Amino acid sequence: MTDAILEQTLNGLMMGSIYVLVALGMVLIYGVMQVVNFAHGVLFTAGGYLAHFFYTRVLDSYPLAILLSMVSLAAIGIAIERGIFRPLSGNLRNQVIASLGLILAIENLLVALWGPNALQFKVPTTEMLVSVGELRFSVHHLGIIVITLAMVALLGLFLKFTRFGTAIRATSQSREAAMVVGIPVERVHWSTFAIGTMLAALGGALIGPLFLVFPQMGDVPLVKGLAGILLGGMGSVPGAVVGGMIIGVVESVSTLYLPTDYRDSIAFLAMVAILLARPQGIFGVRMRGED
Amino acid sequence: MPRAVTGILLLALLAVLVAMPRIAAGEPYVLHVLVLCFVYAIPAVGLNLMLGYTGLVSLGHMAFAGIGAYAAAVMMVDARFGFWSSLALATLAAGAAGVAIGVVCLRFRSHFFMIVTLAFGLVLHSVMNNWDEVTRGAAGFGGIPRPSPIELLGERFSFAPLANFYYLALAAAVVVFALQRLVVRSDIGRVLAAIRQDERLARARGVNALLYKTAVFALGSAIAGFGGVLQVSFLRVAAPASFSLAESINSVLIVIVGGAGSLAGPALGALLFVALPEYLRVASEWRFVIFGVMLVAITLFAPRGLAGVAADLCRRIGGKPPVERP
Repeated sequence: MTDAILEQTLNGLMMGSIYVLVALGMVLIYGVMQVVNFAHGVLFTAGGYLAHFFYTRVLDSYPLAILLSMVSLAAIGIAIERGIFRPLSGNLRNQVIASLGLILAIENLLVALWGPNALQFKVPTTEMLVSVGELRFSVHHLGIIVITLAMVALLGLFLKFTRFGTAIRATSQSREAAMVVGIPVERVHWSTFAIGTMLAALGGALIGPLFLVFPQMGDVPLVKGLAGILLGGMGSVPGAVVGGMIIGVVESVSTLYLPTDYRDSIAFLAMVAILLARPQGIFGVRMRGED
Repeated sequence: MPRAVTGILLLALLAVLVAMPRIAAGEPYVLHVLVLCFVYAIPAVGLNLMLGYTGLVSLGHMAFAGIGAYAAAVMMVDARFGFWSSLALATLAAGAAGVAIGVVCLRFRSHFFMIVTLAFGLVLHSVMNNWDEVTRGAAGFGGIPRPSPIELLGERFSFAPLANFYYLALAAAVVVFALQRLVVRSDIGRVLAAIRQDERLARARGVNALLYKTAVFALGSAIAGFGGVLQVSFLRVAAPASFSLAESINSVLIVIVGGAGSLAGPALGALLFVALPEYLRVASEWRFVIFGVMLVAITLFAPRGLAGVAADLCRRIGGKPPVERP
């Protein structure tokens, strides 16, 4: 039994890492722009497809394919911020509706280009196994966890110690005050969007080889990422990391005791319950009454 | 546009729609597409009341249509109820679910409201997909009957022929659009608009905002459920995919593209959503790419949707400047 629990915990940390990558991008964007980007899941999917494309068609290196996919998604993110979210700034309803439009457009564009069926994404790391005690895991599983933790650390250092990271934090505290002290707020906005979409692309590119690449692959990470953000406290970066990991581990371990059909439903209902009981989350900085 | 002109145009439109089975006598396909338009427009009216008039952006709307649809399916197939009593009870069931879930969702505002409605939509869809004993699971709930024949002016009126079912769907759509007008033009509608524009101010003026929002959530859900029953009775099968997140997004699309907060909006949106792609014969994925881009474009350039564009055109023809409304 302990082996099963250990195995599910590691699986959960792996899934939690994917949720963290999605959640981090959304929480950064929410922080500086006060808007939840519901299109984040479909950008995650696009990251998976592009990594698959670069790996199978362009070059034979998985890490380089991930990198290219991240760079492409950063460019797409900048285009979306400048073309859509910036003109709509201040109008939450229209920003959310535009992001629903993006979901429709991008998801179906992927279907039009690559077809509705799941694509095989074979990379060497899923075949290599390592032993952890009695259990054996693929290098890929562990790689996802390590890469995510490294990204979290990098992002934390960037936000804390660089000038531009400080500018991002300042903007998310107060846009007006940031402008007053001469922070280029618009540059902060599009850069934050680019960082967020890059992290989403990384998530899609990492999970593709394990669970195939398909048009709806971003739906569940989107909602679980949101749940992680809400659990950690809307707008809190450490909260998003801890929240995403908790969701991943709890749902993984719960499959040992609860029917898997309703695993997602239980996670969502738990999220609603937590929001009702403690709207500010674990590290909460924002309340539910705020617009 | 003067009131009389609008009234005459509406009557003319209704006359054309009533005569449609004769106009398109050789082409049952036209009727089929129009029924689908009605089936999409009815839940959109419910969402329009919530999103367009009250400002509640629900991302799980079609799940309530699913509650109505599955409730009616269970009543008709398993419990052997008649169509009409099932229709009434299933509509009430969707409304009751709207109250229960609305009370929870409405404790949240802005993003949180959207996220929680999204979560409930996914949970309800998952129940439809997985509760095999009741909903028959992912394969769908088949064998749903068309309404039984009724006595009309001493004659037997059966709903089996497409033209006759078309009349039922048309009547349902007329009832729902009339109800929408009734609510919007009443004092309740003015209160809803006040809540949308400034909820704090409305509350300061003594409006029980939560009560009104719960009521409109319930009404919107009941209308969605009503549309859901009609849909599964038309298609003869209830499938979870008809009530998924994607369909909820489509419903938002219909309302926004048609014109949120406009009485004709859901009709225009549904016509564009269902009929235009059928007419143009584009592949379904490209159709949604175009719709997605259109949704973004509308938020950027024409926030009042097609109905707003049409209204401005009418005013321009009449020599008046277009109305400005945020």
